[in-house]
Amino acid sequence: MISAPLAALLRKELLDLSRNRGALLPVAIVALVALLLPFGVTIAIPAMTGQHLGDDSDLLRVSAALGTHDGLSADGRVQLFLFQQFLMLFLLTPITGAMALAAHSVVGEKQARTLEPLLATPIGTIELLVAKVLGSLIPTLAIAMTGLVLHFVGLALLAEPGVLRAMVTPRTALLVFLVSPAAALLSLQSAIVVSSRVNDARTAQQFGVLLIIPLTAVLVAQFAGMLWLSARALALVGLGILAVWAVLTVVSAALFQRDAILTNWR
Amino acid sequence: MISGSHLTRRFGDRTAVDDVSFEVRRSEIVALLGPNGAGKTTIIRMLAGLIAPTSGSVVIDGVLLTHATGPALRRKIGFLPEAAGLWDRLTVRENLTVYADLYGLGRTDGIVDRLVQLFELTPHQAVRAAELSKGMRQKVALARALLHDPRILVLDEPTSGLDPEIARAVRQLFEERRGQGCAILVSTHNLDEAERLADRVAVLHKRLIAIDTPASLRRKLTRGRIVVRVAGGAAACLDAVRRFDRAAAADGQVLTLSLPEPERDTPALVRAVVEVGAEILEVRAETAPMEDVYLHLLAARSDDEARP
Repeated sequence: MISAPLAALLRKELLDLSRNRGALLPVAIVALVALLLPFGVTIAIPAMTGQHLGDDSDLLRVSAALGTHDGLSADGRVQLFLFQQFLMLFLLTPITGAMALAAHSVVGEKQARTLEPLLATPIGTIELLVAKVLGSLIPTLAIAMTGLVLHFVGLALLAEPGVLRAMVTPRTALLVFLVSPAAALLSLQSAIVVSSRVNDARTAQQFGVLLIIPLTAVLVAQFAGMLWLSARALALVGLGILAVWAVLTVVSAALFQRDAILTNWR
Repeated sequence: MISGSHLTRRFGDRTAVDDVSFEVRRSEIVALLGPNGAGKTTIIRMLAGLIAPTSGSVVIDGVLLTHATGPALRRKIGFLPEAAGLWDRLTVRENLTVYADLYGLGRTDGIVDRLVQLFELTPHQAVRAAELSKGMRQKVALARALLHDPRILVLDEPTSGLDPEIARAVRQLFEERRGQGCAILVSTHNLDEAERLADRVAVLHKRLIAIDTPASLRRKLTRGRIVVRVAGGAAACLDAVRRFDRAAAADGQVLTLSLPEPERDTPALVRAVVEVGAEILEVRAETAPMEDVYLHLLAARSDDEARP
């Protein structure tokens, strides 16, 4: 399924990134903040202020969206709601850090003058673009998944009894294994399109930042209680995102004009 | 083996290459000469399938280069760009291995090892490309161009930045490849290299000004110019030779003149010099340095352009 040129370029991308760990630092920092934030909000702040989450009628009301969880205390229900909401934040925020990697990937090759010999090989445009996306996605997902393990360890140690068990649902699995990777693919592919259309790395990064806006909008809507997606809805969203990604990959291949990239860029 | 036919490439209003046609045949080295901005790199990129001509066509091994045939045809070409274009954070070996994989070459046949040895890169194979000198980077880039054993080489200034010893070894390598049937196109600013290496030289200045063997190009410039070296002063022979060329000149022992038909007139010229009592030490056709030929061709082109 993965062609030799795609695998070769992907291997190069990962090797290159492993020698440039500083580039992954923003991704790791964002993941760390996203890891600590829910525990700060749901565990540390209530403990410091002495106020119980279950005493907040607004929080209790919005947490009802999760349905009934008879085994959980009021605090536990609110914790479960907040941890569920933060899970999306947790899974999507590392992508924001990876945007810079993806946005730099094509324009960076051009500026380093490594693109010309690469384009002289038999590698196809889609292979090149997919290798670039996967080169940013794989380390990002690795960081996110490492954080996820820590997140669940934190839940086991710090959350109200039963919250961890209640978190392990098909909805969580869909978020972790479908929606999050699909959203990451789509976002990074968009960044690659930007990278192949602009003339310098700074412009690519500026446009890359713009791509974070839709992700932020989803997160804000979710925390405001305006957006609550069921497992079925999440599955459809995930598959929809993958379909859009597939279309965008084909579109980005059409937008990737080798000729213009080699002759117009300075 | 590789040919461009009526290649024209425009960038907006600017024409970089205008109606250029030539071919590089099997077992042939063609050197592409021209001043900066003459369109050499554009031609090289068109022939390597990297950019498309605005008009005209490229044929590689009998197959027309198109968007569809491009990937398969690029596999037949070893391409060296103007800049080495190595991935700085990867080692020499890693750079070569990734390209071997891009061409789908097996790891077991030791092709990377062979090229590392050929280019004497063994002590440097674990060094990151960022730490290499310019000459060393060029060697790695050349090794990369040869990885898949291409039958066609398209090389943009291959010996640029190399020290004379390495440059010579690289030229020998090209000669060996030519002996093995490769077609090699080399863009260069080095006239001496072009003369020594190339079977034919193409002089380019947006249009193709001339393409021929170095000897033929030289003959065209110095057609009929004869040098006669005599014992004693050459001035004593001037009157005798001016019937062949009123502009004949004497400088020390050397007479220089032009003959309309050198093959027909040279014996008569020799007799005339001998008859005035001069001892002839040498008679030869004048050879112009390649630099003179090149500059003459470019100047003639400029004159043509200036003409209303």
